[in-house]
Amino acid sequence: MTSKNDLKKIKENIYEIPKSFRLDMKVPARIFISEKLLEETFRDRSLWQLINVATLPGIIKYALAMPDIHEGYGFPIGGVAAVDFREGVISPGGIGYDINCGVRLLASTFSAKEVEEKIKDLTFAICNTVPSGLGRGGKLRITGKEFDDLLKEGAEFLVKRDYGQKEDLLFCESQGKLDVADPSLVSNQAKKRGNDQVGTIGSGNHFIEFQKIEKIFDKDAAQVFGLFENQFVILIHTGSRGLGHQIATDYIRIMIRVMPNYNINLPDRELTCVPFQSQEGQDYFQAMSAGANFAWANRQMITHLIRQAYQQILGSDNFLKVVYDVAHNIAKIEEYNGKKVLVHRKGATRAFGPGRSELPFAYQKTGQPVFIPGSMGTASYVLRGTAESAEISFSSTCHGAGRRMSRHQAKRTWRGETLKQEMEKQKMTVCVGSMAGLAEEAPGAYKDIDEIVKIVDEVGIAKKVARLVPLGVIKG
Amino acid sequence: MEKFKILPHIADLRIKSWGKDQKELFLNSLLGMSLVLKPNILKIKPQKEIKKKIDIFSPDSTALLIDFLSEVLAQNQIEKVVFYKAKFSKLTDKGLEGEISGIKVDSFDEDIKAVTYYKAEIKKNHLLTIVTTYDI
Repeated sequence: MTSKNDLKKIKENIYEIPKSFRLDMKVPARIFISEKLLEETFRDRSLWQLINVATLPGIIKYALAMPDIHEGYGFPIGGVAAVDFREGVISPGGIGYDINCGVRLLASTFSAKEVEEKIKDLTFAICNTVPSGLGRGGKLRITGKEFDDLLKEGAEFLVKRDYGQKEDLLFCESQGKLDVADPSLVSNQAKKRGNDQVGTIGSGNHFIEFQKIEKIFDKDAAQVFGLFENQFVILIHTGSRGLGHQIATDYIRIMIRVMPNYNINLPDRELTCVPFQSQEGQDYFQAMSAGANFAWANRQMITHLIRQAYQQILGSDNFLKVVYDVAHNIAKIEEYNGKKVLVHRKGATRAFGPGRSELPFAYQKTGQPVFIPGSMGTASYVLRGTAESAEISFSSTCHGAGRRMSRHQAKRTWRGETLKQEMEKQKMTVCVGSMAGLAEEAPGAYKDIDEIVKIVDEVGIAKKVARLVPLGVIKG
Repeated sequence: MEKFKILPHIADLRIKSWGKDQKELFLNSLLGMSLVLKPNILKIKPQKEIKKKIDIFSPDSTALLIDFLSEVLAQNQIEKVVFYKAKFSKLTDKGLEGEISGIKVDSFDEDIKAVTYYKAEIKKNHLLTIVTTYDI
């Protein structure tokens, strides 16, 4: 295990475990963390996992960890690793089981005050329309060739069928579709797990949250993103559901078997990997891309269902615009200093700065929006990507508050009913499927989001644009 | 003898299970996972028991157990059944054939995304034990 003595302070909020710490490390391990949060990182194996990441063949510069770092599988949550496009490996543990778990922000034209009276109706209307929770299927059931088309086309599949507008795709990371997706590389089991889950939230820390923009830090960026103080907005957090989980399971199993053929030896089975350019590496990447497309389609469908409820309750002239949609469990081919790399982001968000051609024209001068949701009932943030993040973190930043307490302990510490009452006392409307699930997601079980975002802002990997506070939440 | 026990984990779920032999370890691990998915599964009187054949090959006995639980989990989610029992016609270090059986359910009490290989290793003292970690 590691201790504070193993870390070297590079500068404020940046610590490093040198390559010399362990013989098999190929690069140093770098963590963006404050002195205040540093002690918490020693409570679990997350730093040890980060050191293991530093042993990956072809890894470039550093194994990186964001301030919301906590223990995961293979990679820690909040882990980022860029590998050489030709010589490096791809590791499903660097993406996670919930492929393209991500966040989408919708902006209304209303202030929170204007919709105050309608929040309750809206919460319960959406609660009834968008399935959340366990084993509950969505309204749309797609099978066969159509399902393969969805895996190939992502959010575009739904927009073509009038479940959204073309503009929604422009304001989505990768326009809601990775072109390399190959549905034939997704198992039938994965497809069966996913075919009734389009338009479903799931459970755990997934949610739909109604929020108000409490404070604007960067007026210019906020204006470009279409945000204003006291605005009513909606945040969606969900991923690829059972389909993505099964794709990850299938390919981890395959890679454990074939990894020895590539003379790769790693300290953790969940870190299993193969050369990115190998057949298995390319197969996984194309299957992962199909999983990512499913997640974008899922968030697109949820957007459609929210819009329907919204227009029903607030009037058909009113519309919710997609501000942006970010993935936080994914691997992407990107270019830095003229070099092509594969960036693994496991519980970490891309944060492209100004000038990146991948961004929609409207965001080219500001950099992309980044969303960092806090734990349930606490603040969330909108930030913008920076040019500096390319050098510091392969254009990556954190994805949330990060757990600091086990679910089991959270359930022993808090009662779901009490938490619900406390949130309702703060005038939040709560629609939740499971009281035990609510207790697991208690704010006290997570790190301080304000501290996390302060670190991100001070390091310079993203800059604060707005702080959001919750008005209502829907959870499974 | 205790069959299984839930252990703390920062974000997910860990279950320690025991068995006097490989078969018992596999069955107790299956039971542990099933009772997380539906704690009252043993109390439900089904009208009909659902059965499914199963056939797995893995590089070693630990991977076999994880792959077995993964296969059952996938079938649970696809069929909306909690398969909590199994009969093996063949069970070796690297392979198994048999049949799982269970009960149809309306929903699950926990959303298990995956069974991970994380720190999984079958150990032998007086009994066989394993700690399996589930992504939830």
